[in-house]
Amino acid sequence: MDLLQGWNPGTILPNLLAWGGGAAEEAAHGAAEHGGKHEPGFGWKMLVVAIIIGLIMGLLTVARSGYKERVFKNPITQCAEQLFLFLQQLALGIIGKHGRKYLPMVATYWLFIFVSCIFGLFFDWTPTADLSLNLGLAITAIAYVQWEGIRTNGIAGHFGHFAGPKLGGIMVIVSGMIFLIEIISEAMKLLSLSLRLYGNIHGGHEVLLNLNQLGALNFGPHEAYIPLGGLLLPIKLLTCLVQALVFTLLFCVYIGLVTSHEEH
Amino acid sequence: MLGLGIALGVAALGVGIGQGIAASSALGGIARQPEAAGKIQTAMLIALAFMELVFLLTFVSALILQAKVTPGA
Repeated sequence: MDLLQGWNPGTILPNLLAWGGGAAEEAAHGAAEHGGKHEPGFGWKMLVVAIIIGLIMGLLTVARSGYKERVFKNPITQCAEQLFLFLQQLALGIIGKHGRKYLPMVATYWLFIFVSCIFGLFFDWTPTADLSLNLGLAITAIAYVQWEGIRTNGIAGHFGHFAGPKLGGIMVIVSGMIFLIEIISEAMKLLSLSLRLYGNIHGGHEVLLNLNQLGALNFGPHEAYIPLGGLLLPIKLLTCLVQALVFTLLFCVYIGLVTSHEEH
Repeated sequence: MLGLGIALGVAALGVGIGQGIAASSALGGIARQPEAAGKIQTAMLIALAFMELVFLLTFVSALILQAKVTPGA
């Protein structure tokens, strides 16, 4: 159980649920002591990731159970169908006609990020509010994009594409510079994908924590606790949706960039 | 600490103006050509995401700086 130390689940409900005086005290004094951070240990983090993956698997299993009927009556199946249609439209619209092939990857990213962010509405730590996991997601996404590029265009074609248009003579130096810049931009894709998700979700948590501190009033012997951060929850819900969409959208754009050359 | 606040404020100001311009142009485009709404929305979302990244870079730098400024953290 050494892995599961450093994070007390009794104090992890910073939002609407934390009405008690203990939570107010935590918000008023505890945050200053801990620098406003309640960083869980590694074991807790892995547990949360496992719970989220289990949640997704369970929901999809339930959705699949209503899949055999001629008309979908199971509401979860209907939701899954709508999600599938939405993501399919996204993939087909951005990647092109061969976008269906990448649908499983796109749906995996969307589901994981969305469910993680929804999880983050209730708890003050969530996988997507952690830079390590976001970087992992971004690395898998970009590695998959590179792999698909190599598979579509061949190794020479894929990396030759980095060098821009073919230039003769002394302009080879320019091609070399373009190649370098393209490599840097690939690395920046990693940074931008991971930092965007991290900043949005973690930033939302920070703002919520600060608002909760604002609402922790201390009138001498009486303590009042107004969870002002709860007012932010609708906006955070929108953020969840938008961030899941943006990540998958950019993934589709990158995939579309490296695989669309066969058509012209 | 004052510097952090000012940095975040200026970044938010710039990103707000930029995103406002982008969104207004996109909405204008959709109003002129409602049939192109899907494509315009996609492009707008991508542009907004890149603009937001600038603010998030400032935010993360501010977090790092705050950890350095706060005593005992």
